[in-house]
Amino acid sequence: MNSKLNYAYYPGCSLHASAGEYDLSTRELFKELSIGLTEVPDWFCCGATPAHNVDELLSLSLCAKNLELAEQVEGDLAVACAACFSRLKFTQHTLEENATKRKQVEKAIDAPVKLDGKVKHLLEILARDLGLERLAAAVKKPLSGLKVACYYGCLLTRPPDVPNLDCVEAPTIMEDVLKAVGAETVAWTHRMECCGANFTLSRPGVVIQLTNAILDSAKAAGADCVMVGCPLCHGNLDIRQKEIEGVYSTSYNLPVFYITQLVGLACGLTADKLGLGALIVNPMPLLKEKQLL
Amino acid sequence: MKKKKMIISQETMDVDFVRKVEALSGTSVRRCFQCGKCSAGCPMATFMEHPPNRVVRLLQLGQWRRIIEGRSIWFCASCETCSTRCPNKVHLASIMDALRKLSWDADGPSKESYVQLANKLFLQNIRTYGRQYELRLATVFNVKSGQFLKDMMLGPKLLSKGKLKMFHSKNKNLSEIEKIFSRIEEMRKKGEAL
Repeated sequence: MNSKLNYAYYPGCSLHASAGEYDLSTRELFKELSIGLTEVPDWFCCGATPAHNVDELLSLSLCAKNLELAEQVEGDLAVACAACFSRLKFTQHTLEENATKRKQVEKAIDAPVKLDGKVKHLLEILARDLGLERLAAAVKKPLSGLKVACYYGCLLTRPPDVPNLDCVEAPTIMEDVLKAVGAETVAWTHRMECCGANFTLSRPGVVIQLTNAILDSAKAAGADCVMVGCPLCHGNLDIRQKEIEGVYSTSYNLPVFYITQLVGLACGLTADKLGLGALIVNPMPLLKEKQLL
Repeated sequence: MKKKKMIISQETMDVDFVRKVEALSGTSVRRCFQCGKCSAGCPMATFMEHPPNRVVRLLQLGQWRRIIEGRSIWFCASCETCSTRCPNKVHLASIMDALRKLSWDADGPSKESYVQLANKLFLQNIRTYGRQYELRLATVFNVKSGQFLKDMMLGPKLLSKGKLKMFHSKNKNLSEIEKIFSRIEEMRKKGEAL
């Protein structure tokens, strides 16, 4: 490695609360891979779905403010949560294209908008900046025999021209990363279907119906577990899984991992450092069976 | 819902409203030729009384009241599938945002109150704390929606796993967030922004 990779880090609200294990495993994995990660000081909530749902100007302004705060830290902005990633990219895209909205946002945050900083999801950093070869070289314990259903959800790739992470209908970046660390990936139908997202608070019945279809499809494809890059998808698939099993009188028992947990496991990090104990569907029996712990 | 007969005339067509939607969303409803691809891919269409393509058709006809009186816009998950697949580049997800904003401003005549309540509490939390405070969000939602026992079984489990925090620290630069909120309110009062 010639030059050390360094990033400004925007964890987002969930990673400081319900998705603490995503934050922990991200920090530990990046440390292990010698990638620098400095948290943006005093970042704000990006507004997520509720803000753009009812007040686009607020959503754009919150994100523009965060992009401004991120300027204090050197390096591209690394984002873990798919929703924060989507909102920040959406803001850059919209303000680039729409001069009226840009002026309004500049007035709202009382500062010029800066759009040249790059916003990157962790997947991009692992697959492209670090590169699959270097990632493969860091593997100490290949995840051989582990069949993973890669779940992209909505916001990592859609809509076209905005996140520009990968192909909008048939992405492979998650599979590429997992193959580099020795895991097997399954082909399945629901990898880009919506889980119901923030309806988990207002209309949980919707989430139960949509998420059931996702778990059902992953199970039918022969997956041992699911991998996600979004705390909200994780909450719906993991925290609500037992409830879903009850409603549909079925059993899935599919552990749901974050990207950084599976990659970290392959890089030899311990269960403690990856926060595996925080997962609701216990992954230990599966990992022991596959001799990965 | 009982079907009300639709009369298309100059009196019932409100084109100004549609122009507002187009300005807010940055997309044109007139580009839609009703192929229905948006509704075919919509994960939430089964929960809506007007599926996405019909929402656009109603807008083309200036019949926006039918849309915002219903619950369709509040049952959109913002998954962006419609915008992704539209052959005419109608950004339907942004149209949904614009409709919700205008409905919200009109203090939501829609019967769908749970989603609106969740949104309202979410935004209040940002203004008060700078970041999301999940435990408070869920608790206040349950109290205000009168569903005291909703997800009660999940609470202790999430707390024991460290997934819900009892206390939440406020941002040090909280005054800056308040300024953003109030500047936007000010701009709207002066008519500088929609």
